[in-house]
Amino acid sequence: MTLVGTDVTMVGGLAKVTGAVNYAPDLVFPHMLYAKALRSPYPHAKLLRVDARKAERLSGVVAIITRDDLTGLNPYFGPVVDDQPVVATDRVRHVGEPVAVVAAESREIAEEALDLIEVDYEELPAVFDVLAAAKPDAPVLHTQRQETNAGVHREEFNFQVGGNVCSVFHVEDGDIEKGFRAADEIVENTYTLPPIQHGHIEPHAATAYWEPSGKLVIHSASQNPSGVQEQLAQIFRLPENQVRVIVPLLGGAYGGKTHARIEPAIALLARKARRPVQWVLTRDEVFLTGRRYGAVVKIKTGFKRDGTLVAREVVLFYDIGAYALNGPVNAKTGCYVASGPYNIPNRSLTTYSVYTNLPPTGPFRGVGVSHGCWAYESEMDDIARRVELDPLELRLKHLVKEGDIFVTGEKLVSVGIADCLRRTADAIGWRGKEEQARPPSGSNLVRGKGLAVTIKSTTTPTTSSASVRLNADGSAMLLTSSVDMGQGAQTSLAQIVGDELGLPFEKVSVSLPDTDVTPYDKSTSSSRTTFHMGQAAQKAAREIRSQLLDVGAKQLEARVEDLELRDGALCIRGTPDKRMTIAEIFKARFGSTVGSMFGGHCFHTQGGLNPKTGKGKAAVFWFFSACGAEVEVDIETGKVRVLRAITAVDVGKAIHPRMCGLQNQGSLLAGLGSALFEEMVYDNGQPINSNFLEYMLPSLEDHPREFHSLLIETPHPEGPWGAKGVGEAALPPVAPAIGNAIANALEGVRIRDLPIKPDKIVEALNFSKERS
Amino acid sequence: MTINISATINGRQKALTVRPNQTLLELLRDDLLLKGSVEGCGVGVCGSCTVLIDGRPVSSCLMLATNADGKEVTTIEGLVRHGELDPVQKAFLNHQAFQCGYCTPGMIMAVKGLLASNPRPTEEQARDYLSGNLCRCGTYQEVLAAVKELAEG
Repeated sequence: MTLVGTDVTMVGGLAKVTGAVNYAPDLVFPHMLYAKALRSPYPHAKLLRVDARKAERLSGVVAIITRDDLTGLNPYFGPVVDDQPVVATDRVRHVGEPVAVVAAESREIAEEALDLIEVDYEELPAVFDVLAAAKPDAPVLHTQRQETNAGVHREEFNFQVGGNVCSVFHVEDGDIEKGFRAADEIVENTYTLPPIQHGHIEPHAATAYWEPSGKLVIHSASQNPSGVQEQLAQIFRLPENQVRVIVPLLGGAYGGKTHARIEPAIALLARKARRPVQWVLTRDEVFLTGRRYGAVVKIKTGFKRDGTLVAREVVLFYDIGAYALNGPVNAKTGCYVASGPYNIPNRSLTTYSVYTNLPPTGPFRGVGVSHGCWAYESEMDDIARRVELDPLELRLKHLVKEGDIFVTGEKLVSVGIADCLRRTADAIGWRGKEEQARPPSGSNLVRGKGLAVTIKSTTTPTTSSASVRLNADGSAMLLTSSVDMGQGAQTSLAQIVGDELGLPFEKVSVSLPDTDVTPYDKSTSSSRTTFHMGQAAQKAAREIRSQLLDVGAKQLEARVEDLELRDGALCIRGTPDKRMTIAEIFKARFGSTVGSMFGGHCFHTQGGLNPKTGKGKAAVFWFFSACGAEVEVDIETGKVRVLRAITAVDVGKAIHPRMCGLQNQGSLLAGLGSALFEEMVYDNGQPINSNFLEYMLPSLEDHPREFHSLLIETPHPEGPWGAKGVGEAALPPVAPAIGNAIANALEGVRIRDLPIKPDKIVEALNFSKERS
Repeated sequence: MTINISATINGRQKALTVRPNQTLLELLRDDLLLKGSVEGCGVGVCGSCTVLIDGRPVSSCLMLATNADGKEVTTIEGLVRHGELDPVQKAFLNHQAFQCGYCTPGMIMAVKGLLASNPRPTEEQARDYLSGNLCRCGTYQEVLAAVKELAEG
């Protein structure tokens, strides 16, 4: 391998620094129209009347879709539950839900038309708090669910019928009651996380048009071309080959573009308008379209006086908003990791996905894992303080190791978590037990350090397929539906293919996703691309490789084992003058120096959990990471500065070390924002801060002075060159590491509700003073 | 109603017809098809639409197109001269100072503005100046490294 493991120049870099990338909002089509949505002002209401006739008469308006345009379609969609309408039908369930979408000659005309659409609503009681929503007397969002058992379910997630609880997941180990009886001490606490924004600077954007043959074409900023294709095919009752999804480079996504959101409505609008229609959301609309789950985490831990953990119970409620989307999947993936990467003999873990009258949610870097991690890693530090142990030692004592059986019943492989934690502790200058017992500084500014770790699964089982085409000139093209959203998928996949075929990096190009050409992929999510698409691409390239070697062996009268592909040619090892160019191999194979050689592979992982027992195989590989932070807290004002932040991620093998590091930095910084200030605020379902003035993203002002990522390489036996995933792993432990650092600075004063804003610190300090 | 203005866009004098409520960003993107400047927030806080007006960085989503009358507007598309990348662009490439690249044109234009007003910025000054350009991918450290290289140039 000559490319894998090196920092080759990122594909697309030149276009990025010259402003030449065509992102989804930049696309222009002849006769293109612009879309704008009329959105519900109510969090929950019956739709009594929707009348767009006046608006349709406005000059420049070409088409308007409302619920009256859904005839002949499957009007509901969703990745696991078909509960989301293309446009609102009988009722609206959150502020901002699209009731009508207008296509007009200009954005101004479309905007003007919205005022002419007449809608009568009848307000319904609404529920915003996740615990209140889960109660039997709460207003129910999806009443039809009672009659239809919640529509079509694509997978089994223990769906609930009747109330707002969409799904439940449960897994246990040992005997929880016995465990608590055996404990010397039991601590029980509740942690909360507010909804937050993905914060992709590029908004959701899509352009759709229909070919005269009746084929739908859509260009969308999506992490999931195959998934969008599948959903549109189902809605419009088309075979999948009549839906073409094309995905440009993405201007960030972080999970926010994993599922079809605006694509169904824009496709319907384009069909009615008979012209291309483009829909680019404004920032406030992005806030109404997706977010990370808010959550309440109840955690109870039993331990011995020496710090041995004997029992842990976690009950976690995810606020999934008005529609299921990925909520049930999230409840599953957040469940089995909810007690942490620890060996605890008795545990009971239960997660609920719960509908509320808030905007829809979706996977967010570290999907569902950050919630449990915020709770269990804060608790680990508090327990260490209680039993007077070094929090590092307490963690190391319980961490899972290679070959351990996890709560799901599966054997863990490629477990680099202890290395992640030790290296992080060293890098932050961890001094053991004394980190929890800082002497008073005598100043307003106090400092503390904190550590945290996490474990996360990748979605399993899933499928990725790829094909590789080799041209006679020795250039190759990888056809893949993997999306490059900044993580560098195109680059790392080209490295893998290049090494397999012995081609220089610049001879390998990687397609953008286009479902007419690129084969099926589950989605660019769950940090799965390097492992899954990497293997599909590698195996596809190997098919070509073996064709080349077979021809070469005959022509050079050598054994296949003695041949190697290097620098775009085939040669006999140790005999550099006995070689053939790719063109010569083509000539020998096909009698011509033009043509193509093909390789293809459909890679599928095995596994899955029994929804009744929670047991089985949750993940084909696991992510492990650690975070260390040092903070300075002003005890007068409560202001926190993160002075240093370090993350270590077990990546298996770094295909492109620099980009792995950048991914981790991105997670680290987003984690910092979620720890200290990011929070979507609602007043009775009305968003209060849906703009970047009032909802702050971390800027250079917040960026710690010392900030870096360590890559741990515990090779995975199945991964390409041993690689696992990278993108999300670093995020979940960031908030608890910062929370622990703050608690250590404040002699144990603990904030359990994110974000840790200055007023919470001041209040907690006052409360602790009063008590003492 | 439309208004006629005259502005220099990336070194070329242009007579333009604009609407009174049209922003400079809309003019650049919709009428001139200069798509490198992008809208991230629409309220002048994310910096993704940063362009230079007479050499100084401005959020083009907040500036009315009519106010560009008589001004010299430079966008990311105007930085390449005679096929050569601008030193800031080269430094961003060298330091891999981007991931998704969506905020990159705005960030590069902000760095241009920084170096025009202060050719040898300290790290503190660079942090302060560039804190109005958001990068959710979190590639700030590499931007600072690029600025450092340029400052030491």
